[in-house]
Amino acid sequence: MVSKWRQRVTKWMTRSLEVPPDVMMDLPRITMIGQLHIYIENHKGLLAFTDQEVRLLLKQGQLLIKGSHFVIKTILPEEILLEGEIEKVMFIDQ
Amino acid sequence: MKNIWMYFFTGTVQVVIEGKGVERFLNDCIREDISIWNVRRRQDNAVLFTMRLQDVQALRIVVRRNECSCHFSKRMGLPFWVKRSKRNIGFIGGIFSFFIITFLLSNMVWGIDIEGAEPKTEHLLEKELKKIGIKTGAFQFFLPEPDEIQRKVLEELNEVTWIGVDVNGTTYHIKVVEKKQPEDQEYVQPQHIVATKDAVISKMFVEKGLPMVGIHEHVKKGQILVSGIIGTEENEQLVGAKGEIYGETWYVTTVEIPMKTKFEVLTGEHKSKYKLSMFGFDIPIWGFGKVDFAQFEKERIEKTLKFLHWELPVDYVRETYRQSEEVNRTYTKEQAIEQGISLATANLQEKLDEQEEILEEKVLHQSFENGKVKMKILFQVIEDIVETKPIVQGD
Repeated sequence: MVSKWRQRVTKWMTRSLEVPPDVMMDLPRITMIGQLHIYIENHKGLLAFTDQEVRLLLKQGQLLIKGSHFVIKTILPEEILLEGEIEKVMFIDQ
Repeated sequence: MKNIWMYFFTGTVQVVIEGKGVERFLNDCIREDISIWNVRRRQDNAVLFTMRLQDVQALRIVVRRNECSCHFSKRMGLPFWVKRSKRNIGFIGGIFSFFIITFLLSNMVWGIDIEGAEPKTEHLLEKELKKIGIKTGAFQFFLPEPDEIQRKVLEELNEVTWIGVDVNGTTYHIKVVEKKQPEDQEYVQPQHIVATKDAVISKMFVEKGLPMVGIHEHVKKGQILVSGIIGTEENEQLVGAKGEIYGETWYVTTVEIPMKTKFEVLTGEHKSKYKLSMFGFDIPIWGFGKVDFAQFEKERIEKTLKFLHWELPVDYVRETYRQSEEVNRTYTKEQAIEQGISLATANLQEKLDEQEEILEEKVLHQSFENGKVKMKILFQVIEDIVETKPIVQGD
């Protein structure tokens, strides 16, 4: 109940104060360079990693990236740079 | 992004982890602040990643917490290179000693080339050079500069008028001009001997020609002393007059000697510093500490080091600090006069030949003003007054 209410407040604040939503709401910021690179900030951990699939934990839900020849170029507590041939990026709500 | 290149120097390892919960292992690594990169899954489900060598201790904690098995598959970077090269010490040593030996050999003297000297002089010269230290196998950076060699050798060898020292790579080329007048020409064209200046003849030796003047006779400049026309009037012959004629001449010189002079003298105390100079920076090798002379003269000699025929951007520098002192010298009047005479005599002597001499000197006039002695000195000199003048046919 409290968290829902807080979410609503932050949503309202971002809209009215024009603060970037990834800062306010702890959302992932995803940058892709073609199909080659995907750079994700604000992830919360690695859930699965194979050649064809990477699953990342987010604050809310998960991020599923599908493709082939995946190599994690860098991984830091909140950032990850993935290289390979990216086909799909999906958000999975829980 | 991090600069992975820098990790080359600290060393990196490639880790293989196998088993369950590989993702958890990776998350743990990140939480422990181990930076990992190039994470890849192999066909057999093992995961490979690269990490820094210094994080291996932290990795142990992660391994203990997880069930995965873990081993290192590749060791990269400088620390491992060094380790490996320790095993091949002979090879590395060989490379280094090759460069060191080539460098040393490039800075040695390998040849001394003496040009223009007779065997006897050459031998003397070689001996002299050896004394200075120039011989095959000597290191060039310990040897004096070419002009210093020139000066030293010239001082020691009387047989030599001039030498030129030139360093070309590892060879010293030495050009010698010996003290020897060229042989007189066999044929002398018809000529008179005339006087170079006003003089009184003091000595006369005529080899060829007709003497026109006698001893103690006063002659004017340009006067014919020995005629090239000999024989009776009917049977005239032209010869090249030849002879040695010395006359008494006079010189008047003025000298000025200050009564008080201030000058610097070296006390003999000195200190040397040796340095390597690279791109304008000096790296001291030997001779540390401050120079505690109140007054000194500094001399800096630079030698460029060579490698094969290249000059390295490194100079071998020797700095010598010589302690100096300021000395005030005061002459009495008598001393000043004496000094003036000897100075004037020395100046004149320099212009004269070996056979010419100063007979006597007379102080004509002397005055003391502004702390200086001004003197006019008359010198009586015996000198060669021979000048040849060709006889023009039809005169």
